[in-house]
Amino acid sequence: MADNTADLHKIYLSGRRAARLVKYGAGLALLVFGFWTVSFLEIPMDRLFGLFGRLGPMLANRIFPPDLAYATDWKVLLSLVETIEMSILGAFFGTVIAIPLAWWAAWNITPNRTILYPFARAVIVLCRSVPALILGFLLVAIFVFGPFAGVLALTIGTIGFTGKLMAEQAETIDMGPVEAMRATGAGPLKVFIFGIWPQVKPAWSGIIIYNWDARLRGSTILGFVGAGGIGLHLRLQISQLEYHAAMGIIILVVVLVIFSEAMSHFLRERLR
Amino acid sequence: MMPAANPTLIQNPLRQPADLLRRYTIYAVIVAVILAMSVHLLVYGTDWSRMGSPSEIAETAISLLPNLNFIPKIVSPLLDTALMAFWGTLLAVVMSVPVSYLAAATTTPSMIFTFPIGRGLIVLSRSTHEIIFALIFVATLGLGPLPGILALACRSVGFMSKTTAEAMENVDRGPIEAIAATGAGPTARFLFGVVPQVFPMFLGNAIFAFDANVRRAAILGMVGAGGIGLHFSEQMKSYNYGNAGACVLAVVILVVVGEIVSNRIRTKLISG
Repeated sequence: MADNTADLHKIYLSGRRAARLVKYGAGLALLVFGFWTVSFLEIPMDRLFGLFGRLGPMLANRIFPPDLAYATDWKVLLSLVETIEMSILGAFFGTVIAIPLAWWAAWNITPNRTILYPFARAVIVLCRSVPALILGFLLVAIFVFGPFAGVLALTIGTIGFTGKLMAEQAETIDMGPVEAMRATGAGPLKVFIFGIWPQVKPAWSGIIIYNWDARLRGSTILGFVGAGGIGLHLRLQISQLEYHAAMGIIILVVVLVIFSEAMSHFLRERLR
Repeated sequence: MMPAANPTLIQNPLRQPADLLRRYTIYAVIVAVILAMSVHLLVYGTDWSRMGSPSEIAETAISLLPNLNFIPKIVSPLLDTALMAFWGTLLAVVMSVPVSYLAAATTTPSMIFTFPIGRGLIVLSRSTHEIIFALIFVATLGLGPLPGILALACRSVGFMSKTTAEAMENVDRGPIEAIAATGAGPTARFLFGVVPQVFPMFLGNAIFAFDANVRRAAILGMVGAGGIGLHFSEQMKSYNYGNAGACVLAVVILVVVGEIVSNRIRTKLISG
């Protein structure tokens, strides 16, 4: 037994040394792994170092004066409106579906732990794990070209996104009111409306607004696969190598996203 | 407050007629807006004559069921995707150190010149879709995983820098003052006063960014930036829906595994 401070100090130091050895070993392994991956990915290092030499002239000649006259054409602006509408509709429908799913997928308040809980969890995980662009491509193939597929893709994206966040939030609520409601013999729906909803409403409202913001970002690109919105124009200009016009659209999209972010920030601050 | 007709009756102030009217007006406006948008986008914006009959839709959906024989061919691009996410995150982590240094009000050298630069970079990175970055880098660097890595790095550096800058602004001033009292210079104050407080959160966010980057990397191939997205869009465009379904299955598995792994690591980091 270590009963004097010198021994204790030695034990402490050796423990730290072992911990440090593990840390450095892990770091070294990560580094070796990293450099192996460079050869696996066949990354041409010379191109990487030539990047800045090429990026400058390309930005200056092919991209720089962005064609804002094209980007403010009424056709493009109309598709921008379509993009915003898609994001709002997708966020709305998705939220309507996600609210009961989040209720079922929160372990502490779920009405049924054997069937509804795993079902809701599985739906949310599935909706989360398919990237929006891939989903849009699939839905365009299954249904039809246009904003219908886009809205559906955004709806599914919303279910995955808000469902998870809302369920996580609901798992942190105070169980007192819920149990009091249950003790009066109220059914699951009444428990939800009067015991759970008032508690989760502020946080869920924030999540819903934030989700709309995120969906708007996603919807600007869905047109790439023909699922409606401004992405289609971007795709067309890129395919025709009209980088000036494409840059005009990109600037339009960035302005829209910055605006939406500011708006969602403002709304969430007001909720607080 | 309106005087209650019956003094013994306690009235809910939120149930005053004026408040009820206001609330229901808001509901009515929301419903009207949603309805108008649905009519515009989903009824008039969609080409319903091209939408197949239910049996045709079901047929397409069934033909999308994964063709498992294709799985061995996409293991390598799937690994590419994961490695792209890894490198993109690593680059973003490295890039976020100077950017967050510029964008944190407490550390930035000049509030007039460098602070807006840092904030502007963060906003630009966060509001531009990864596909747009990928398009620019593919145009300058050619096809392959390298432009994908750079696109992911540019996309996630904003998130990393924003969270880090906010953490650096909110650090406890006590340790820094204690270190300053020993006569330490600004470098030592930063290294031993700020970094230890920020580091665990920084690491957690890096893992979160990796998780998000796995999702993003899966679609970058659709514009030629390497990974599984290229195979997916090729198979979709050549109407090999079974093979495309296999790609989607692979992406779903990758994303779910990535999420589970990153959740594990993060909870371990938080618990110590």
